[in-house]
Amino acid sequence: MTLYLARRTMSSLITLLGVAVILFVLFRMMPGDPTAQVISPALDQAAQARLKHAFGLDLPLWQQFFIYLKNMLTLQWGQSFTTGQSVAALLGHWLLNTMLLMSAGLVLAVVIGVVLGILMAARRGGVLDHVATVAGLVFQAAPPFVIAIVLLIAFSYKLELLPSSGMVAAGTDDAGTWAMLTSADFLKHLILPTITIGAVYVATPMLVMRDSMLEVLGSDFVEFARAKGLRPSRVLFGHAARNALLAVVTVSSLILGFAIGGQIVIETVFSWPGMGKAMVDAALQHDYPVAQAAFFLMAVVVIVMNLLTDLSYSLLDPRIRFGTT
Amino acid sequence: MDRRGFVTGAAALAAAAVGGLARGQSQRAPVARRSLLTCTAQFDPARPEIARLVAQACKSIGWEVQANPMDYNQGIQKVIMEHDFEMYLVYFPGTSIRIDPDFFIRGVHDSSEDKRGGFNWMGYHSPQVDALATAQARLMKVGERHKPVVDAQSAIFADQPGTVLVYSQMTMAHRSDKLSGLVPQLGEGIGGFWSDINMRATGDGYSRSGANADVKHLNPIAVVDSTEFAELSILYDRLLRLDPSGKPVPWAASAMKFVDDKTIDLTIRSDMHWHDGKPVTADDVKFSFDYHKQWKAPFFLTALNNVASVELPDAHTVRIKLDNPSAPFVSNVLATMFIVPRHIWEGVAASGDPLRFANEKPVGSGPFKLDYWRRGSELKMSAFKAHFNAPKCAGIIRIVYGSQDALATAIANGECDRTRYVLTPALVDRLKTVKNVVAKGYPSHGLYHLSYNNRIKPFDDPAFRQALNFIMPRQMISQLVLLGYADPGASIISPTNDAWHNSAIKVPPENVKMARDLLSKAGYSWDAQGRLLSRA
Repeated sequence: MTLYLARRTMSSLITLLGVAVILFVLFRMMPGDPTAQVISPALDQAAQARLKHAFGLDLPLWQQFFIYLKNMLTLQWGQSFTTGQSVAALLGHWLLNTMLLMSAGLVLAVVIGVVLGILMAARRGGVLDHVATVAGLVFQAAPPFVIAIVLLIAFSYKLELLPSSGMVAAGTDDAGTWAMLTSADFLKHLILPTITIGAVYVATPMLVMRDSMLEVLGSDFVEFARAKGLRPSRVLFGHAARNALLAVVTVSSLILGFAIGGQIVIETVFSWPGMGKAMVDAALQHDYPVAQAAFFLMAVVVIVMNLLTDLSYSLLDPRIRFGTT
Repeated sequence: MDRRGFVTGAAALAAAAVGGLARGQSQRAPVARRSLLTCTAQFDPARPEIARLVAQACKSIGWEVQANPMDYNQGIQKVIMEHDFEMYLVYFPGTSIRIDPDFFIRGVHDSSEDKRGGFNWMGYHSPQVDALATAQARLMKVGERHKPVVDAQSAIFADQPGTVLVYSQMTMAHRSDKLSGLVPQLGEGIGGFWSDINMRATGDGYSRSGANADVKHLNPIAVVDSTEFAELSILYDRLLRLDPSGKPVPWAASAMKFVDDKTIDLTIRSDMHWHDGKPVTADDVKFSFDYHKQWKAPFFLTALNNVASVELPDAHTVRIKLDNPSAPFVSNVLATMFIVPRHIWEGVAASGDPLRFANEKPVGSGPFKLDYWRRGSELKMSAFKAHFNAPKCAGIIRIVYGSQDALATAIANGECDRTRYVLTPALVDRLKTVKNVVAKGYPSHGLYHLSYNNRIKPFDDPAFRQALNFIMPRQMISQLVLLGYADPGASIISPTNDAWHNSAIKVPPENVKMARDLLSKAGYSWDAQGRLLSRA
């Protein structure tokens, strides 16, 4: 296990290094002068030179690269070109908002998907099987903003049950992050975006779980469990499901990668101040420090989540041991 | 063949050759196809449409133009920094510093501004306009200044270095059941300072004003964008303010006196306090000027380079001495620059570069003070009751919406009371049908402008540029693209800026024949396919 962890960590670091190089090159290939955003051409030459030096933009590209690499890997992400704020503070704020939204939505998608997948496999060919398959595929094919807007129209505008935007109601005093996150108001604001993400991503775990369950239900040990006289629900959830979950775990880490990159639309519709919109704004404004750090952070999150997913296999299936032949 | 036949044939051949040569020499090249740059629809839905209409209109004189939308920042780089463009469709928003005619006359048309980053990206050079631009900037008395401003507009209109297409309105919306007492302001509509301090709000007394972007910072030294200016203008005070029609009026300075053309005395009010309770003094005002100059505040850099000194002849007077007379100094510095507290900003400079300071807990002396700022979500400001002109509402909550549609929907639902900035005309039209919502256009001096690169053919020819003035589809742009929230344009200074507008300049008719006649007189012609040919 230790050897496996060491190997995975090394390969993760190499992957991150590759990501960092690609980000550096891509952003500098973008048309437009980044200094134009922050260094007014009305400034005299001395002032322009001073600001360029402060941002490190007067150095040769190869020097900028090594400074960038060192800073990226040591989490010294500097200051935003446009806001002057610490990039780490900005990203921490946005990442927390996006992780809250994404976690809630993906947990909903996976839980509902898994449960539905089990039931669909148990009643293969039944009404639930057909209806859930069609519904899941429809939600997956529909653009996320369409689902979001339909939910908004129904629950926010017509029924006036849920708020339409933001994380908390406007005007509530700023009592601190923890107080906000544990408030009923925040949870109420979380419902519609969570359901949207859940709807968008439910199809994959549901169908994968269904197929995996169908395979497992035909296994000898399931026959044996039935022969022992165990209740059908115990056979299904206690024995078969646990073995079928491995495939869903694999697919969940893939969904995570898509979800992290695809939050911009949902964040825009619900005015949720997260990473998606911030990343797009930073890229368009040539705010290099923020854009580079944001994309790098996303890569770190995906890599870490993939590693955790791999490690969870051994919990689900004791036969899996890492580093053994 | 006999000798006679040979000579006759040779003569005929020679005549044909000479005739062919002559025809070849008289054939002219078509006027080169040109590219019309503008921003993408994501940045401004109107501009690519306007560009397509202009390109279509140019076909009426046999000239091919291709509309070319590109990323806004990339366009800025090519046009303003590199001057690498042929035609450029731009929108000049009606900001407060453009009420003073200096920007549109000297800033956009003076040859000294033909430089990297300058606003004369057209490369227009006219000794007549340069002389008028310089003269108007140095005349401190409005009465004396009026004539060169009016004459400059006439000269620019005659020369057509660029074409003014339409004057746009500011399309905004508010809820009449939540807010009353709004005061529309030139160039800012109902989202400006005079609405902020005069409006009353029902319920808890807070107005919920929606915007599509968060402020980037609250730093009055580093400010360059109108987004930040709007919030800083209520958190901080200025020496003067521009009234709703755009004229400077006393504010933190209760009186202003011109000692001479280069010396201004300002009497500072004695009843002002910072939000932390300390008094605002004349020393803070002097400090503000010195600080902005020392740290090269980008927005005021050029103007402050003209400030020779700032003195304190007594405890309540600030004396500003300029190197040269500067008429725009009053509007663009005294009524724009913020007064900052010495006891806060000295410390900022001591710990780093003030231009990179986010200033998330601003201490100003303005009519509102900051309660909190939830980045990306909302900014809450409450009325500063100790202010000499305290607001009538309890405060303003500035809410960030992810899109214009979300903002419009929030107005329709009553979750939001007012738009802080412009909504697209289509959304304003939609909101007109909602009960208790007032959605309309407000006067603005902003305009859509078609800039030509005067350095290249055919735009180096004034006759060509003047002919283009007669084919621009101004009515179609106003009615179809901007849905009636715009008017055909002519002079570079909008009629809404009636203090400076030259009313003798009329919108030219859309008349292709007149354009063709002008081109013919200038030596242009057309080939058999109707293509416009260059002059001989």
